[in-house]
Amino acid sequence: MTALARTWDHLTLPGKALFILIPLLALLTTGLIVVIALFGKQILDILIFNLPIVRFVFAATVLLLLAPPIAFVIIYMEMKIIALMNLRIGPDRVGPWGTLLSTIHGLKVLMKEDFTPTRADPVVFTWAPVVVFATMALSVLVIPFAPGLFAQDFNLALLYFFAIGGLTVVGLLMGGWASFNKYSLLGGLRSAAQIVSYEIPLTLSVVGLVILAGTMSLNHIVQQQGVYVDATGSHGSGWFLDWYVFRQPLAFLIFAIAATAEANRTPFDLTEADSEIVAGFATEYSGMRFGFFFFAEYIGVFIISALTTVLFLGGWNAPFPFPRISWLVDPGSLGIGLLFVVALVPLLGTLLLAAPFYLFRSQTRWWVALIIGFVLFNVVAAGLFGLWAYINFDWVAGLFWFLGKTFTLVFVFVWMRGTLPRVRIDQLMGFAWKWLLPASLLNLFVTALGVLVADALRGGPA
Amino acid sequence: MATQTFAKGTHPSADDPHVLVEDDYAFYEPIPPYPPRTEREAEFYTLGDGEMFLNMGPQHPSTHGVLRVVLKLDGERVVDIDPVLGYLHRGVEKLVENADYHQTISQVDPLEYISSLFCEWAPVTAYEKLLDVEVPRRAEYIRVLSGELNRISSHALFMGWFALDLGGLTPILWSFIERDEIVEMLAALTGQRMLFNYFRIGGVNGDLNHEFLSRLGDWMSRAVGQVEANTKLLNENEIFVRRASGLGVVDQETAIRLCMTGANLRATGIPFDLRRTHPYSIYPELEFDIPTRSEGDSLARYLLRMEEVKQSLRIIDQCLDKMPDGPIMAKLPRLLRPRPGRAWAAVEGPRGVYGAYAISDGTDQPFRLKIHDPSFIHLQAVGALLPGNLLADTMAIMASLDPVMGGVDK
Amino acid sequence: MDRGLARRLEARFEGALHGQARQRHDQTEIRIGAGDVIEVLRALNDEPELAFTMLVDLAGVDTGAEMQVVYHLWSATTSDWLRVIVEGLSRDDPRIASVTFLWPGAEWMERETYDMFGITFEGNRDLRRIYMPPDYTSFPLRKDFYLPDDAARSPGAGVRHVERTHSPVDAAPGVMRRTGA
Repeated sequence: MTALARTWDHLTLPGKALFILIPLLALLTTGLIVVIALFGKQILDILIFNLPIVRFVFAATVLLLLAPPIAFVIIYMEMKIIALMNLRIGPDRVGPWGTLLSTIHGLKVLMKEDFTPTRADPVVFTWAPVVVFATMALSVLVIPFAPGLFAQDFNLALLYFFAIGGLTVVGLLMGGWASFNKYSLLGGLRSAAQIVSYEIPLTLSVVGLVILAGTMSLNHIVQQQGVYVDATGSHGSGWFLDWYVFRQPLAFLIFAIAATAEANRTPFDLTEADSEIVAGFATEYSGMRFGFFFFAEYIGVFIISALTTVLFLGGWNAPFPFPRISWLVDPGSLGIGLLFVVALVPLLGTLLLAAPFYLFRSQTRWWVALIIGFVLFNVVAAGLFGLWAYINFDWVAGLFWFLGKTFTLVFVFVWMRGTLPRVRIDQLMGFAWKWLLPASLLNLFVTALGVLVADALRGGPA
Repeated sequence: MATQTFAKGTHPSADDPHVLVEDDYAFYEPIPPYPPRTEREAEFYTLGDGEMFLNMGPQHPSTHGVLRVVLKLDGERVVDIDPVLGYLHRGVEKLVENADYHQTISQVDPLEYISSLFCEWAPVTAYEKLLDVEVPRRAEYIRVLSGELNRISSHALFMGWFALDLGGLTPILWSFIERDEIVEMLAALTGQRMLFNYFRIGGVNGDLNHEFLSRLGDWMSRAVGQVEANTKLLNENEIFVRRASGLGVVDQETAIRLCMTGANLRATGIPFDLRRTHPYSIYPELEFDIPTRSEGDSLARYLLRMEEVKQSLRIIDQCLDKMPDGPIMAKLPRLLRPRPGRAWAAVEGPRGVYGAYAISDGTDQPFRLKIHDPSFIHLQAVGALLPGNLLADTMAIMASLDPVMGGVDK
Repeated sequence: MDRGLARRLEARFEGALHGQARQRHDQTEIRIGAGDVIEVLRALNDEPELAFTMLVDLAGVDTGAEMQVVYHLWSATTSDWLRVIVEGLSRDDPRIASVTFLWPGAEWMERETYDMFGITFEGNRDLRRIYMPPDYTSFPLRKDFYLPDDAARSPGAGVRHVERTHSPVDAAPGVMRRTGA
């Protein structure tokens, strides 16, 4: 017993935590295995019975787990692209071309001191970043990434999205108020005014689109922008002219501007204008809490880009219909040849790709050439595999186009940040209420009128 | 109802029922812990209805150096402003009294550290007037050449800072490219990148050398295009123009009453530039214009400084063409003992009139050197221009007046 | 050197000037007493033949025997700088009228002079220290400022040897060797 006490004394805090956790985990794992062994069949039945819920939970988990990597990618993009626009180099050292830098930043915020200011309201202070992040996480659940790849879709998805997105302002206000800091207060109030003002043009500009689409379900909106169902029941991608951006150009413009303001991005980033109010609502936050705010901002950029893509740019549809080829090769038909293929193709590919380096570049030694060949072979093989997956699985194709369009819009947001100065609060509010709101109303009116006229000409609703 | 705020336990008559003594929230307010000493201080530290203090402290991402500004805000609107100086006060005027005349040059360099050559030029000219020394023509041409290069680099930095305070991240880095080239050039000439210590009483320290001239030639061929590209980034930017125009408008009479000089005065329409209105050195022989604008707002000040850069390029061209041969330094004894007397000299620096008043008492140390710094005056003008504007304009107005805290605080 | 300016000034301000207007290089210098400040500077600013509308500098000087305040003015009518030396301020309690009624921009320059010399400008609404902290007790640019004594009175007193009070025998105020011209 005293030996245990002595060991316990010698341990550091993480050591003590592990000392307790590992036996606990072992116990839980054995318990789990026992439960599965005994009740496995009943559990499986329950799960299959509730498949939609299981699917939703799984998808939500995957999205939450993917959020940090996406945020890291966007943070890196921002740092690198703005640096290149500034004629600097940007992140360079950590990882190839600095790509691991944002990951390291993420780990670094975990290790910073996490304090609450003395006079700050501890409960509100702690929950503010959680609220902001939670709203972002909830709103990403309805975005369709590819045919069949969405967490949940229902016929009010768009409304749900705007409703949840509007809750971000609660989190920002909480952060601004609870910090007991006038800079934070100013930042929080500015953000409240800004987000609330820009929500109206944001939602109104989309109503015209909803009238044309006839549904608020994001999945259906994307399908309408490309998918046609012909007599055989098959569906394929349409042309880019089907995208809603060509049918609702004014709405696209208003939506893009209002979305920039919703996400607190330059030129509307006065809530965190660091030349005036240090960091706005996030001034007193450090460590992981600041990490949450930071994170939530970049996820927000991704989300609004994703929504713009989904609504106006065709979502996961390709710009023009590709011919459908089937490349499914049945591995079973190869028989013993499969073994040869699996063994020989990498070898031959490596040798083939290594040969030019060895033959034409005199200072390359043979083993260096082989390594280069192997790496190149992997790259080529991955590319070919990707191509095969693209052709055969429509969710891969859809994901490819969706991410391509979304990250193009993210690039545009980053581009704006690097180029434009920021507007003043009165100019911002004036712009929202005096220009964007009437423009979105005009758009709505014209769309509705157009639909009525088209129906009348057609002799009845379509 | 106005409440005068004091920290706990500091008001002399805390039992007066008409004076509200705050609880320890007042500890967090930027109010001084003593009763107000002057009537202006009392007026400032009395809060009206719905007003609050905001302290933009000495550490802040964009006060131009260590400056503390206490703002009285009504929501986002600035009602009053009280700049607190002295965080960079180095006592240069006292230090100079214990040094030789030659040593004072390196001591006055860090006053306006961005345009050091002008900080040296005024005292050196004042000493030359005390000593009745005539500076050789080649030295004067070199002074003008290096001074105009310093003016361009200072204006480039101004452009970057101004844009940064308005939120643009890119112009400052582009302007640093220009500034870096000029500063490397001046390093080739003077030996230093920033606090040059180049002018001497009676001339300059080193002659033009090959590296300086080749860098200068290289840069001049690109300079105009670079300036154009930099300014195009901002001039045609709608957001920038709308932020900066109509901001901090000064009319001519106010500008003179506030003792403003330099580009801030010329932006109101008064063509006061010491290089033309009170010529010194060899400026009468050079051809250049004095750009003026009449709007008097921040945009006018910005555009004016960009036009001055072009005029400076003209001057540099002419200096290179007309550079005479000859000595670069007048013959002077090593230990200078001017006759007792007083002299004043002023030069046109990038920020305004930079003056030096030197009193000599016959010994080898100056008796008094008073430096007149334009940034000091212009920072005072912020207090007259800012009330009524929004918080976001605080930094914009301050940046457009281009103060340098080294000069403000001496 | 604008001889005409010297004549005009001597003609206009006969009684107020102490001695002749002196000229050297491109500067004209007149000396007045503290009581004449308001009248002379207002006349210099307002009168159209003089038109010294720009106040370029306001300096304080401690000559060891007395204190002076020096104004530098510029006018479009002449090519000279005008220097107005207000002399005769006592070293114990120097007081002078403030020119902020004419030039509000002189407020900070007067604050600086007060901070460095202790010269009180009557009429300046905001005469408090500008560079030194508000509880500072000395006036640094005076000739009788002795740094170790001042440091000994400061909050960091006694920490370093220079801040311990000691008055060496030759620590006399630095008076000008010759009360030069």
